[in-house]
Amino acid sequence: METIEIDMRGQLCPATLLVALKEINARASLLRKGAVKLCFLIDNRDATGTIPESASNMGYAVTVAKQPEGWYRIEVAVRT
Amino acid sequence: MQPSERQQHADLLRENKALRQRNAAAMQYIRRKVDQLLTVMGTSPLRAEELDDNTLIELDPIGIVSDSFVQVLHHLKETNDQLKTAHDEITAIFKSAGMGILVIDRDLRVLAYNRKIQEQFCVTQNVKDSVTCREILCQTVKDENCPARQAIRSGTSVRREMDLAGRRFDMIATPIQDKQGAASQVVLVYMDLTDRIQAQEDLRRSEERYRDLFENATDLIQVLNSDGSIQYVNHAWQEALGYRAEDLVGMSIFDVIHPDCTDCGPEFKSVVCGHKGGRFETLFITKARRTLVVEGNVSPIVENGVFVGTRGIFRDITERKRSETTVAAEREQLAVTLRSIGDGVITTDINARVVLINKVAEHLTGWRQDEAVGRTIQELFPIKDERTGADRVCPVEKVLQTGTPCELEGNAVLVARDGARHLITDSVAPIRDRDSNVSGAVLVFRDVTERKKLENRLIKSEKIESLGVLAGGIAHDFNNLLNSIIANIDIATRLVKPDSDVQQSLQRAQKASTKAKELTQQLLTFSKGGAPVKRLASIADLIRDTADFGARGTNVRCQYDFAPDLWNAEVDEGQISQVIQNLVINAVQAMPQGGTIEIAARNLEFGRMTSPALGPGHYVMITVRDHGHGIPPENLNRIFEPYFTTKSTGSGLGLATTYSIVKKHDGAIDVESSLGNGTIFSLYLPATLAAAAPVERSAAPLPRQEQSGRILVMDDDELVRETAGVLLDLLGYQADFAVDGERALELYQQAQQAGAPFDAVIMDLTIPGGKGGLATIRQLLKIDPQARAIVSSGYSTDAVMANYSQHGFSGIVVKPYTLDELGDELQRVLGKK
Repeated sequence: METIEIDMRGQLCPATLLVALKEINARASLLRKGAVKLCFLIDNRDATGTIPESASNMGYAVTVAKQPEGWYRIEVAVRT
Repeated sequence: MQPSERQQHADLLRENKALRQRNAAAMQYIRRKVDQLLTVMGTSPLRAEELDDNTLIELDPIGIVSDSFVQVLHHLKETNDQLKTAHDEITAIFKSAGMGILVIDRDLRVLAYNRKIQEQFCVTQNVKDSVTCREILCQTVKDENCPARQAIRSGTSVRREMDLAGRRFDMIATPIQDKQGAASQVVLVYMDLTDRIQAQEDLRRSEERYRDLFENATDLIQVLNSDGSIQYVNHAWQEALGYRAEDLVGMSIFDVIHPDCTDCGPEFKSVVCGHKGGRFETLFITKARRTLVVEGNVSPIVENGVFVGTRGIFRDITERKRSETTVAAEREQLAVTLRSIGDGVITTDINARVVLINKVAEHLTGWRQDEAVGRTIQELFPIKDERTGADRVCPVEKVLQTGTPCELEGNAVLVARDGARHLITDSVAPIRDRDSNVSGAVLVFRDVTERKKLENRLIKSEKIESLGVLAGGIAHDFNNLLNSIIANIDIATRLVKPDSDVQQSLQRAQKASTKAKELTQQLLTFSKGGAPVKRLASIADLIRDTADFGARGTNVRCQYDFAPDLWNAEVDEGQISQVIQNLVINAVQAMPQGGTIEIAARNLEFGRMTSPALGPGHYVMITVRDHGHGIPPENLNRIFEPYFTTKSTGSGLGLATTYSIVKKHDGAIDVESSLGNGTIFSLYLPATLAAAAPVERSAAPLPRQEQSGRILVMDDDELVRETAGVLLDLLGYQADFAVDGERALELYQQAQQAGAPFDAVIMDLTIPGGKGGLATIRQLLKIDPQARAIVSSGYSTDAVMANYSQHGFSGIVVKPYTLDELGDELQRVLGKK
């Protein structure tokens, strides 16, 4: 499964969410087939609430992992 | 600038202003909608400084969010589908679950319940909304014990066993929490344990029953592992073999198989090793080293195709074996007894077929047991009438039909297989089974041929004895007459001159009288009075002397064959000599052409059963065999009768006397004869194993001397008294007379008192109606112990005559006596003085 990293560090909500949703929408077909997973790199703490909530409502599996440097990896993939 | 232009310009400005206002309103609207959508998506609204209008249009957040909504909706639809499926599944489970499920709210009001609840608690379908679970299920349970309440309070599941509606339930109360974590509902699940408990109870009882059966069984039950080690044994096993439960640990079946049982060991091993199963007998040894005989079954236990052990059930048959041995021994003893019985015994089944035949019956019928079994009694036991020869019916069938015992009437002859005939008596009795039904018959019979002979002999002997009494009576009287005749001829002879013609007549009369004397002697011997005077004698010498004398002067020769160690016998030599003489004379007369008489003597020893005619003991058997004309069968039975004779010159007393003498010697006489081939007489005399004393010969006649003295003659016969008087006178004696004992004693005493005692008394032994010689001598000797008495009688062979001295007499004269005989005896007796 290909992992596509989208670095959104430095961006603020709600733009972060809109960008993330745009990326998810653009790859919806590949994501649902399980061909790719998206990895969002963010440092905006609010986004750790909004992105997983929205992606989960859209039916994806979401994991949030805080990195030691203070930013976050949010992975979005198909639900198994 | 033209007004028009100005106007146009002003219009354009107004239009521009309006357009700008309209654009600003549109942007305002877009921003509001974007914020609304972002809020729906759960994020914060856009800030104006964050995105200018152009960037906003370029970013197209509405497009983004609406695309995301498409996916959200799609996901919601999927989720709804899944929820519906889950709901359907839960409903199906709820409805069809094998346990009762009840859903209540926190106030215990019933929200839902499944069909099982209806069945378990008889709940109607239309339970009102306000009805609580307590009302329909567990009215009796106290509030504090209510598991639903506890689940609501604790927020966790509560499990409990409860008795409801007469049944036992495993009940689980699980709270359903709302978003606030409070228990809003409770799911109650009721699993009915009653059947399971019942099944467990049944199983327990069943196990108990089997255990009871095993533990209280009297048979020995064992379960072994494949190596023969003991897995389980029952109480009876432990009891019988003397082991306790704790002893069995580590024990093997080979510890209880008897070491002596070499056969059953390998047999048993092959079974416990699973090679074979089945029924067999073996020996066990108890803890106390006692041997048990056991019989039983062993079978292999196979689990999943693998032999894992054996199960066995045994029975202690030690006692049974012992009793079987006893029964076998008794049966053997019975069989031996039956075979040893002196009578013939045949048993039959209900069809009159032979089941058993003993040894005597085998001998008499000629059929062996193995040949006889299964044959009919008619075949084995044909009987005929002795006299008519007609077939007779064996009573076995009659007994089988009637069930009553029966005896065969007399004169039945059993015809043996080889044709031999046996005169028999028999009796038949039914054999009855336990229910008293006739199951067979037992025939007991006896060969009475010998007994019949014996009976005939007894009848004959009685006949002879009665004739003897008669003959004896006649002879006694006749003898007294003869005494007188002989004495008087004697006297007359002395009175007449020797050369006188009368002498010849007197001599003829004397000769005839002598023959008459011999005849009366024979008669007297034959009669009752002739008890033998026995002395131990050598039979061989006696026979030889007598037989040679009897055959003297004839053309017949005697040939002797005596056993070298021939026993002696106590016999009256005179009588036995007479017997031999009679037999030899008969033999001589049977062979007028001459020939040889074979005389043999043998020793014989009879046991208890070997001779019915004679008692057990030692006998001398004498046989006298001639080769003469023989005796016709019809006469054979009569030859011992007195006066039975076929000879013109015979007296008919020879064999009668012989018979009588032999009988009185406790012996027996038999005759066998075949016409033209000769006759054999067999004599049996009781033998004595002691040596014979030398024969005492009578003293030589004393020289005649002139006699004197007083003699008292006691006789009831006047003629005898008179004759005696004449003879005594001739001899020189002085005679006095008495008719009986009383008178004689009287005269004797008178003479004593008068000082002229009698020198001797001649006494008749028998005085009819008066005191005889024997009674008189006893009293006489009391009066005068020195008295001398001579006994006189015709019964020369009378016991008193034979042993006169033992009875107190000093001498003896046998009537009829001559002058010399009387003179010699008186001289001898008086000479002893």
